[in-house]
Order: sequence, then C-alpha cells, then structure tokens
Amino acid sequence: MVTINIDGRTVEVPEDTTILKAADQAGVWIPTMCHSEYFEPYGVCRLCSVEVVRGKRSRIVTACNYPIRNGMTIHTNSERVKWLRKVIMEMLISRWPNVKVVKDLAERLGIEKSRFTSLERDESENACILCGMCVNMCNDVVKANVLGFAHTGIERKVVRPFDEKTDQCIVCGSCAHVCPTGHIKMVLEDYRGKKSEFTLGPKTPIYVPTLQAVPRVPVIDAESCIHFQTGGCENCAKVCEPNAINYKMEDEIVEIDVGQVLITTGFDLFDASPMAQYGYGRLDNVYSSLEFESILNSTGPTGGNIVMKNGKEPRAVGIIHCIGSRDTNHHAYCSRVCCMYALKFAHLVRDRTDAAIYQFYIDMRAFGKGYEEFYNRLLDEGVTMIRGKAAEIVEGAWNENGDPSLKIRCEDTLIGKFREIPVDMVVLCNAMEPRKDSDAIRRLFSISKSPDGFFLERHPKLDPTSTATEGVFIAGCSQGPKDIPDTVAQASSAAARILSLISKGEVEIEPVRAMVQDEYCSGCKICNNMCPYGAIEFIEEKKISHVNEALCKGCGTCVAACPSGAMTGNGFTDEQILAELEGLML
Amino acid sequence: MAYRSYLMVCAGTGCVANQSMKIKEKLETEIRKKGLQEEVAVVTTGCNGFCAVGPLMVVQPDGIFYQLLKETDIPYIVEEHFIKGRPVKELMFTPPKEKTPIPKLSDIPFFADQTPIVLRNRGVINPENIDDYIARGGYEAIAKVLTSMTPEQVIQEIKTSGLRGRGGGGFPTGIKWETCRNIPADKHYIICNADEGDPGAFMDRSTVESDPHAVIEGMLIGGYAIGSSEGYVYIRNEYPIALDRLQTAIQHAREYGLLGTNILDKGFDFEIKIARGAGAFVCGESTALMASIEGRPGEPRAKYVHTVEKGLWDKPTCLNNVETWANVPQIILRGAEWFSSIGTGDVSGDPWGGSKGTKVFSLSGKVNNTGLIEVPMGITLRKIIFDIGGGIKDGKKFKAVQTGGPSGGFIPESLLDLPVDYEELTKVGSMMGSGGMVVADENNCMVDMAKYFLSFTQTESCGKCVPCREGTKRMLDILEKITEGEGTEEDLVLLEELSNVVVESSLCALGGSAPNPVLTTLKYFREEYEAHVKDKKCPGHACRKLITYTIDPHVCVDKGHGCHVCAKNCPDGAILGETKQVHTIDVEKCGKCGICYDVCKFDAISVE
Ligand SMILES: Cc1cc2nc3c(=O)[nH]c(=O)nc-3n(C[C@H](O)[C@H](O)[C@H](O)COP(=O)(O)O)c2cc1C
Ligand code: SF4
Ligand code: SF4
Ligand code: SF4
Ligand code: SF4
Ligand code: FES
Ligand code: FES
Repeated sequence: MVTINIDGRTVEVPEDTTILKAADQAGVWIPTMCHSEYFEPYGVCRLCSVEVVRGKRSRIVTACNYPIRNGMTIHTNSERVKWLRKVIMEMLISRWPNVKVVKDLAERLGIEKSRFTSLERDESENACILCGMCVNMCNDVVKANVLGFAHTGIERKVVRPFDEKTDQCIVCGSCAHVCPTGHIKMVLEDYRGKKSEFTLGPKTPIYVPTLQAVPRVPVIDAESCIHFQTGGCENCAKVCEPNAINYKMEDEIVEIDVGQVLITTGFDLFDASPMAQYGYGRLDNVYSSLEFESILNSTGPTGGNIVMKNGKEPRAVGIIHCIGSRDTNHHAYCSRVCCMYALKFAHLVRDRTDAAIYQFYIDMRAFGKGYEEFYNRLLDEGVTMIRGKAAEIVEGAWNENGDPSLKIRCEDTLIGKFREIPVDMVVLCNAMEPRKDSDAIRRLFSISKSPDGFFLERHPKLDPTSTATEGVFIAGCSQGPKDIPDTVAQASSAAARILSLISKGEVEIEPVRAMVQDEYCSGCKICNNMCPYGAIEFIEEKKISHVNEALCKGCGTCVAACPSGAMTGNGFTDEQILAELEGLML
Repeated sequence: MAYRSYLMVCAGTGCVANQSMKIKEKLETEIRKKGLQEEVAVVTTGCNGFCAVGPLMVVQPDGIFYQLLKETDIPYIVEEHFIKGRPVKELMFTPPKEKTPIPKLSDIPFFADQTPIVLRNRGVINPENIDDYIARGGYEAIAKVLTSMTPEQVIQEIKTSGLRGRGGGGFPTGIKWETCRNIPADKHYIICNADEGDPGAFMDRSTVESDPHAVIEGMLIGGYAIGSSEGYVYIRNEYPIALDRLQTAIQHAREYGLLGTNILDKGFDFEIKIARGAGAFVCGESTALMASIEGRPGEPRAKYVHTVEKGLWDKPTCLNNVETWANVPQIILRGAEWFSSIGTGDVSGDPWGGSKGTKVFSLSGKVNNTGLIEVPMGITLRKIIFDIGGGIKDGKKFKAVQTGGPSGGFIPESLLDLPVDYEELTKVGSMMGSGGMVVADENNCMVDMAKYFLSFTQTESCGKCVPCREGTKRMLDILEKITEGEGTEEDLVLLEELSNVVVESSLCALGGSAPNPVLTTLKYFREEYEAHVKDKKCPGHACRKLITYTIDPHVCVDKGHGCHVCAKNCPDGAILGETKQVHTIDVEKCGKCGICYDVCKFDAISVE
C-alpha cells in the first residue's frame, strides 16, 4: 500500500494501481472515453490526462494507464489539465457534434462550443468516434480478431478484414455491446444457418435455466459462449469468486443397468408457421401458447408483464383454439388441454391488464373437475367467447387513424355472421404432437404407436401404462395429449406397476420361450430384426444370437425364420419332440 | 595481388540512380580495351557523401576525386589519367565562384572539415566484401571484447565514452544497456533501428550501404554486453540496396564464424535476423517497431513501462539506432577517452552532461554542397552550412535551418553559432533528431515550410490518439488557410494553442514533436505569419495566392525591346503584348507559376 495525494485528498492504494482507479477510490471523477474494465488501458482519447507532480517536476500523464507510485501528488483539475481537456474536447465536438457521449462529456466539462471547424465533420448521432473499444474487445477479449483499424491519421477507420462480411465473426455482439455511440448494430438475419429457435430473448450464454431450477446454478450454452468458439473471453471465470466455472466439463454417456424403463418423453408443440393464415413468425405480436406462458412467467423476459414488442400493453387480445388440433390437415385429435389453458390465459390477461379478450373456439371442452365452473366464472369476468374458428389474421389499423395492429377474421357461428375483430396481440393454442424423434425411441424399445403417432399402450382401458414390451412403461403426453392431473395419475400408476415388480424381487416369465442352439447358429442375424419384442440380441464375442428370456413371449416367429434351424422353442428341440413322440408311442 | 590504382566508384543509392553502374561497366570495358586490367581495379563502394556531384569516383591511392561523370567521359579519363598519367582537370571539383579545380578529395572543404568515425569506411571499402572490412581493422573490437573484457567492462566503457542514442532521443547508450542487462529474464533482445523514414534523410541507409559490418559488429558487442543472443535489424523494405548488402554481410559473417554459435571459440552465441518494415514513419517509434516485428499493426502502445523492461514479446529489449551501433566498435578499439575527447560538455559525472563523438547529418536544401556529412559534436551550424555546405546556392541569403527531421524546429540566423549538441538544439525548440538538416534561403516562405513538414507528419500519424490525429489535421487546415490569405489573427493564437496541446497530450513522440516546425517558425518568424494574415503578402514569394507578378514597362521596351519570350512561355496565356511593344500580365489569368520571371533575361518582371 502506498499513500498518494489526489486533488488535496490523501488516499492509500496498492502500488501499481492506475491513477484512474485510485481517483475513483478517492471519489474524484476523471473523464474517460476509451477506457473499459474489459481490456488493458488503451490510452488514446487522452481526456483522462492529469498532472503528476514528483518533487519539482510536473508532467502530464493519462490516468487510465499510469501506475501509482508512493508519494505522488496528482492534480486532476489544474488549469493546465482543464486547458488540455478543453482543447481535446473541442476537437471531438467539431468532428462529431451529435454523438451523445461526446455531447454529454462536453456538457459535464462545461464546454459549449468548439473553436475549430472540422472538414471531417460527421453529423450522425451514431458516428464512430474511433475510441477503439470494439477493436480491443474483439481482439483482446473475444479473441476473434475480426475488427481492426485501416488507414492512418485522420482517415483511420474501423473495418472487418477486407471490409467484407466474414465468417471469422462469431456474432457474439461484444463489439456492439461496448460501442459507446451505437455505431455497431447487430442485425437479425439468418446467419450461417443459425436462427434463434425461440423468438423471445434475451438469453445469455451463461444463465440460470429457470428460477425454479434444481440445483439453481448457472449453466453455459457452449454453442453461444464466446470461450467455446475462440478460447477467449472467460469473463465469467474472472468475476466468479468461488472459482466455480469449469470450461473443461463435458457431456458424458453413463451406462446404467436397469430392469424396467418408464418412458415419459412428453410432446412437441405444433409449429404454426406453415398455417400462413395466422401469420405466426411473420406478424409481430402473434405468439404460440408456450411463448405466451413465458411472457406470463414472473421470471420470464418481460417479468410477467403482458406487453407487446413495442413495450406497450395490448388493448385487446385474441386467443385462438385448436391450432393444428381437430384439423384433418394436421392432427385429427383433440389436444385436450387447450380449452382450459386458454381460459387460464384469459383469466390472467384480465387480471393483469385492461385489455379486451376474445376466445375463438370450436367447442368448449371443460370436462374435468371444476373446469366447467371455471368456464362460467370467466364468462362473468367479461371474456368474449366467439364460436367459430378464426379464418385469418391480418395487419390492420385499429381504427381509421389509429395505431397499426392486427385484425382477426372469423365466422361467428352462433350469430351466423362474418366478423373482423381488431386486436393487438394474438395467442395461438397450438396442438400437442408426438416428439420428432419418437420413432427412434419406439424402435429402441420395440413398442408401437397409435394412429395419432403417440406411443401405444398395451390396452386402452385395462392396461394404460404398460406396453407390448415387458418391463417398458409409458406415461404422460408420450402416450397421448393430457393435462397435468391426468399425467400425474398415469405416471403414479406406472410407478406403482414398476414398484410391484421390484418388491417381488423376481419376474415370472412365460414357460414357452425361444432358445438358440449355439452349436447350430451361423450368426446370420436374421432373427434379430424379426422378433417383435426385441428379445434377440447378438453376442459379438461368440458371433451368435441370444434370446433374452425375460422379453421373449414365445411367439415362435424367429423359430420359423431361422435358416439353419438353430432357433427352437425351449424344451421343443427336434430331439426332444422326437423323444417325446417315442415315449408316447411306447 | 596488388593493383597500381583502385577506382572507387560510388554505388550509393543516389549515384546508382544517376547511372553510376553504367559508368562502372564502361570503365571496366575501357580498361580491358587498353589492356590495363592487371594494373587498375574498379571497386564499387557505398555512398561517398557528396551526392550533389554524383556519379563520382575516387582514384586511390592518390585520392583524386572525379565528379559528375558521364559515360562519354570514360574513354578520355582512361586514356589521359591511366595511360598518360595526366589527371583530368575538367572532371574535378571546382568550388563555386572559383576557377582552379581541387584534385584531391581530402582538400575539398566538404570533406576537409568532417571527422569520419561511423563513415570511416565509406568510399574506401567494398561493402560487399568482408575482407575489405577486416583489412581496415574490422572485427578486431569483438575479438578484443570476447578475449579480454567482461560484459560489465564493456558497458562501463560505453558509459564513459558518453555515447548517446543517435536515433532521436539522445538517451545515454551505456545506461540503456546496463538497465536492459539487469532485468532478469530468460531472453533478452537487441534491435537495430534502420527504419529511417524522414523525407530527405539517408544517414542510416548509407551507413548500412557503405559499411554493414560495422553495424553487425556493434550489435555483436552489444549482445555480449547485454547478455542477448538474438538481434533484429528492422529495415525498410524499400531500401533494396541496403537490405541486399546487409543480407550479404550477415551471410559472410556467418561463414567466417562471426555470427552463430560459439563465436571465436569463446562460447558466445549470437544471431541476427532481418525484419522488414513496410515504410510507415511511425514504425520507427520503439513500441510501434516492436509491435510490427511481432506481426501486429505498427502502432505505438500506450504504456508507461519501458521497452528495456518489457519490449519485444514482453522480454527486455535494447533498441538502438544504426549509427549508435556503428560507433560501438570504434569506441572499444580506440577507447572511451578518445571518443569523449570529441564533442561538448563533460560526461564523467553525468551521462547527460554533454554530447560526445560525431553526428552524421544529411545536408539538403538550399546549400551548395548537399550530401551526407559526419561532423564532430560541438561544431557550429554556421560552419556546417557555410564551410562544409559551401554556403547558400546562387548567392542567396540564408534564412533558417531545420535540424532533426520532419518534426525538428527551424533555427534562425541569429542562432547560427549554436553548437551541435543535444541540449542546445532542444533549448531553441529544435532537436538533434536522427540527423536531417534542411537549409532554407530568403526565397523560402516559413509558413509554407512549416506546412510542408506538418503535412508529412499529419499523414504519417497512425491516427490512434485524438490530439495527434485530429490536432495535426486542424493545424494543417489553419496553415492552409493562412497560406491562402484567409487567415486571421485569431487563427495564429489558435494555431499556437493547438500546437501546444498536441505536444503535451499526444500518445507518442510523433505527435509530441510534430508541431515543432510550426512552433519555432511562430517564434522566430512571426512577422512572416503576420504578413500573410494582416497584409495578405508572402515575403518568401512562395504562397501563390498571395503574390502578383508585374512587368516593368520601361525595362520591357527599353532594355528588352518587348522580346516576347515571357508571352511565349506563359502556360496560361496570361501575358498580353506584341513583339517590340510593352507586355502586361492579365492578373485574372495568371497562374503564378513564375515561369515568366525566370525566362525574362532583362529582369523586367518582379514579384510582390
Ligand atoms: C515517430 C518516430 C519515428 C522514429 N523513427 C526512427 C528511425 O527511423 N530510426 C531510429 O533509429 N529511431 C527512430 N525513432 C527513435 C526510436 O524510437 C528510438 O528512440 C531509437 O531507435 C532508440 O535508439 P538510440 O537510443 O540509439 O537513439 C523514432 C521515434 C519516433 C517517435
Ligand atoms: S460480434 Fe464478436 S466476433 Fe464479431 S466483430 Fe463483434 S466482437 Fe468480434
Ligand atoms: S465502432 Fe464504436 S466502439 Fe468501435 S471505435 Fe467506433 S465508436 Fe468506438
Ligand atoms: S466465457 Fe463466460 S462470460 Fe464469456 S461468453 Fe462464455 S459464458 Fe459468457
Ligand atoms: S501521437 Fe500520433 S502517431 Fe503517436 S500514437 Fe498518437 S496518433 Fe499515433
Ligand atoms: S481513458 Fe482514454 S486515454 Fe485514458
Ligand atoms: S550516393 Fe554517391 S555520393 Fe551519395
């Protein structure tokens, strides 16, 4: 620790800290324009110039990078310093009169106008003031080495290599983030095939997945994290005091031996963008139900406030049921949950805003416990129910001279009229559909699907959680659309089924099973894919097939298929049958 | 085998540009024609210094100096001088205003007043032949150092000699070496700064061209003293001859075991690498130079840590100028006392106490004898300009001399008796710099001169820091305004204020010194600025917007009989009048080129 004097105040600071930091500690403000905590001092704006006195000698240095030495006396506001700052500021104002940071700093320093006329004068509010922050950020922090300076002297300018679009840019946005003038903008475009999958931001590479996450710790998204692309950044590690950031952690594949499996892979949300009439993905403020859930969530992007893209509250919200459900062009089935969540949406919108609410439905399906009552309550809350599927959503003015907004066109089948309803926001109640990769899962476990694409249960009434494969169970929306109470019920039942087997400690298997006679098996694998229960596996070491007795149902398909006659029913080899026959005939 | 005569033909950049290689070939063919090839040898040398009269050659051992040679002169010289033994008077140097030619180089005042240490081998050896260098005592110094001196003793010797950096700053070389040596590190670097980019200056280039081994030997000694085994020469790519000779010299030194491992069997290893610069003036600045070697953009770094501590690749690095390095072998051989006996002040207690040894200058501008000179420190500017330089061209009046390259200041006549000394030059607002010296005469406009040099530094500014980037451009705008007659008195005040801000707040020494020409001219020649601003007149008659040409009608008809030459030559057709009649100039049309003024044989035209 050394003692120094800044503008008459004595402060103790560690040796080698910069004057700027020491001044900050002493509560003394020094103007800066090229300094950032992210990278080493760049020292080019020279606005932080201060006067340092040591003994009889006084010299002008820049505070942002000059290291403190014991016994220094620093004047940040001497006449000489004020004069230098003023003239430098005048140079800046004469060139960039309308850039906010320049204007603000000039104002704070009490400089009104410049005595210079700059031939390079740039009136833009977002002009580049050549502070170099973006260049330092991109090279020293991000280490992507995209940005640099071209030309010398007054012609200097920030450029990308060859001044062209470059694949070297990892689109991290750091440059735009530090640019004090807004000269660099991130433009949303389909860049190198990358498109944001969820249109609601913001999402940082390091984030706590949800506030309810267990354990509630941040995770890093390796795809957008700068470090995983360039090896640079590591800012999170720099600020993390317990030293908990580990960039080396990797995905691992863990093999666990289990006797039974419960498949609860859930559903995918129907993508409404192919239904062009609803404008999803094309029109602003048309949301899917999941997006709207996230808007409603108090930990979501809007903090639970129902607002439009422009930040204003909507004046009217339309909620459209059966998007992709009960529609022979997409899914013939009813998704079962939409009516009720649509009513919940309506209730929350009513609760949080003054917006008018319109529900567009085909039939109201409020079949569960307390559901019909909820529906009646909403009617009392003044939600307008329109029976009829919305035909189209178009852009349109709210009224003759009003703000632009949306219009929902539909046929109101109760009054038999065509209607156009102006709204600011539309929520689509998308269908639930099987996961995209559900077929791969099916094959893995040798289970079937019903015509709607969801996993098929062994019996719809008598055995709704088990499947054709022994020991494999299904529950929740992987089996078919259902709401939370139904899912919980089904999953509990499956769990009970599994536990009953575990508590027994052993499984009873059918006496009639297939069996490979090892000495005859040629290893042709024909049987492997034949078995509808996936009971046959191939043993690489021995190059022969083997029947898993717990899975085999004794159907005999494989026995018939085996070309070398190695597969037989257990206890039913030719010799045994012949021996039995012999015994009988005796 | 010894020859009767050696013809030392200058192959410096200046003479080569004036076809000296053709002269050389012609000499060789003539000599062969006359069957003299066993008696007379032709040798190419580095720049002789007296570039103003190139292409030139010196006949050794008698020291006869031939100048302004043309291919057609060669058969005659060979016939007369080498067969008949009659040196050719017509091709010798004759001082202006005199009749008798001076046959010997050593008697020509241009050479007589010089003290060559760095340039002692110029014109004497073939720089591409290492044996020539060795024959003149070359590589004796490194042998002495390796066999009988500790690194500390070498550093002490350099400290005692009072040698200071010749690249601009004048930092005591011994202290720099000592500091660098004392920084603990696994590797130390040394660098030779041969970036020399000042317009019109060619001290370092010529040194490398005429005696590359002296630089290599200096670096070897420095490497031993500092504890470094790797050196770089940072040299401009657009100096092909220098680059070529340096490469050859390094190659030869390596072949002779003077570079590489276990040099002279003394266990000392040293290698020299060449780094080529792309020719930005700012790359001569130490941090920018090192950034450039490292492959980063050649821009100065804003750091208050010296490069001797953290330089090239963050290792302790000792950077010295070409001329500084080339002085080192001579100091070691002839001793610190000898070196410090030349020059000003006393360096025994304070290394900053004086300027010792010699300095190479490239003398240019309005003097008779332009070229490269090496003079002892302490010599007066007057002696340089009027004795060595042979005075002002065309008998004009001296006005000012600028020392130190494009960011040096202008020194007026009243200060001509100033000795060449780091501190003295700085005191009057100029500097030693790297050794540019430009002389201005009465016909130079000081505002225009200041503008010219500022426009150089302004375009060479890297643009990194605000005061230099914006400030020098604003200064240039104001100077432009003044030379166009649009300037006001407030502009002068603003110009001075701006200059001071740029000096005080720029990041590197380029910005820190660029305003010197402006500040010194404002100080010593303020009346010229005022004439531009108040009377809208240019006393040096250089600023076209501010001058008018007029024809005196009496002189025109009485003396010249309306000769019409002016009208014939005027590119703008601005001169009216028929032969035998009075001629007049149409001011509207006149482009102020001054051609009429030059062509009128009767001095009828005047400029105001
Ligand atoms: C803009 C600028 C240009 C420079 N150019 C040169 C140069 O061309 N050659 C040189 O030797 N030094 C040059 N210098 C000085 C060097 O930075 C450095 O001081 C010098 O090479 C140190 O060597 P010395 O101690 O032997 O003088 C320049 C400095 C500045 C600020
Ligand atoms: S977005 Fe990132 S990688 Fe691209 S230029 Fe900006 S800082 Fe560099
Ligand atoms: S683009 Fe922005 S951050 Fe980059 S140099 Fe210009 S003003 Fe500074
Ligand atoms: S390293 Fe950390 S701070 Fe940097 S981008 Fe990745 S997550 Fe963000
Ligand atoms: S003073 Fe000039 S050359 Fe030096 S860093 Fe600043 S802009 Fe670049
Ligand atoms: S903050 Fe810009 S030079 Fe210090
Ligand atoms: S180049 Fe020949 S004398 Fe300079």
